[in-house]
Amino acid sequence: MSEADQEFGFAEPYDRPIPYIHRISTYYQTLGYGKPYRWAQYNDVPFTPLKKPLSESRVALVTTAAPYQPDKGDQGPGAPYNSAAKFYTVYTDTTETDPDLRVSHIGIDRNHTTAEDMRTWFPLRQLKRLAGEGVIGGITERFYGAPTNRSQKRTMEVDCPEIYERIREDGGDVAVIVAN
Amino acid sequence: MSLIARHLEENGIPTIIMGCGKDIVEQVGAPRFLFSDFPLGNAAGKPNDVDSQAFTMELALKVLESAVGPRTTVQSPLRWDEDGKWKLDFSNIEQMSDEEIARRKAEFDRNKQIAKERRESDIKSAAAAE
Repeated sequence: MSEADQEFGFAEPYDRPIPYIHRISTYYQTLGYGKPYRWAQYNDVPFTPLKKPLSESRVALVTTAAPYQPDKGDQGPGAPYNSAAKFYTVYTDTTETDPDLRVSHIGIDRNHTTAEDMRTWFPLRQLKRLAGEGVIGGITERFYGAPTNRSQKRTMEVDCPEIYERIREDGGDVAVIVAN
Repeated sequence: MSLIARHLEENGIPTIIMGCGKDIVEQVGAPRFLFSDFPLGNAAGKPNDVDSQAFTMELALKVLESAVGPRTTVQSPLRWDEDGKWKLDFSNIEQMSDEEIARRKAEFDRNKQIAKERRESDIKSAAAAE
């Protein structure tokens, strides 16, 4: 850190959000995987204003986490990346009880986090608390599992409409989507 | 996940994305986004820290309720740790030895093959169920 940085109270140069697209593209190119992954990119972004206050809205929770599958190898905590635990079709399960969800199939930061606490990627308990306190109107009967699919075509043509339909069936007014 | 948010919004359902990958979510174009500057996998708060999980969920709902237009990103004021040096590590090729790179290449090939087989059987059984 330079003298000027110190004088003005600047943060350390590395201490800003990780440029993931650059890091990941460079990483795979170096490993020899030629053409880099093309992340989706849009200029236009849709926006729907809330139709009613949150205290009257039913919240739908969408997750990329997978139900624990005992026959699919180490799924953590602390598991290495486990592609066998991936899923490729939308699933739903009840929000009545706590599910056992894992993220071993996702590119989480394995150097700095161990996935030991489901509440860091699946905030159902917090939503229940807030429903109890009247901050939100309620939670839909089911939560929604979204595949982390490399095929954007399948995500857009199959998974997105499927999740929308299920949320609509369940009377969800707004959606909380947790990316991992 | 940003693609899902976009689809839901296009069909009249307001959304909030909670995430740790700022550049990725913003490049896709998210309606509302609560960014936590934490290692990937902690979008809903820090492990075994209920206060941080409560704060994060409440902030997400505030962003959902108060955003005035698309591409609203709010960055959580919470920090993962004091020095932030964890940000130097993720897939950072500049910090890896040649041996480490070779080891990772082998692991990547293995996982890719497993995923391919699983994908084929998942889609087959879904088709059979319909």
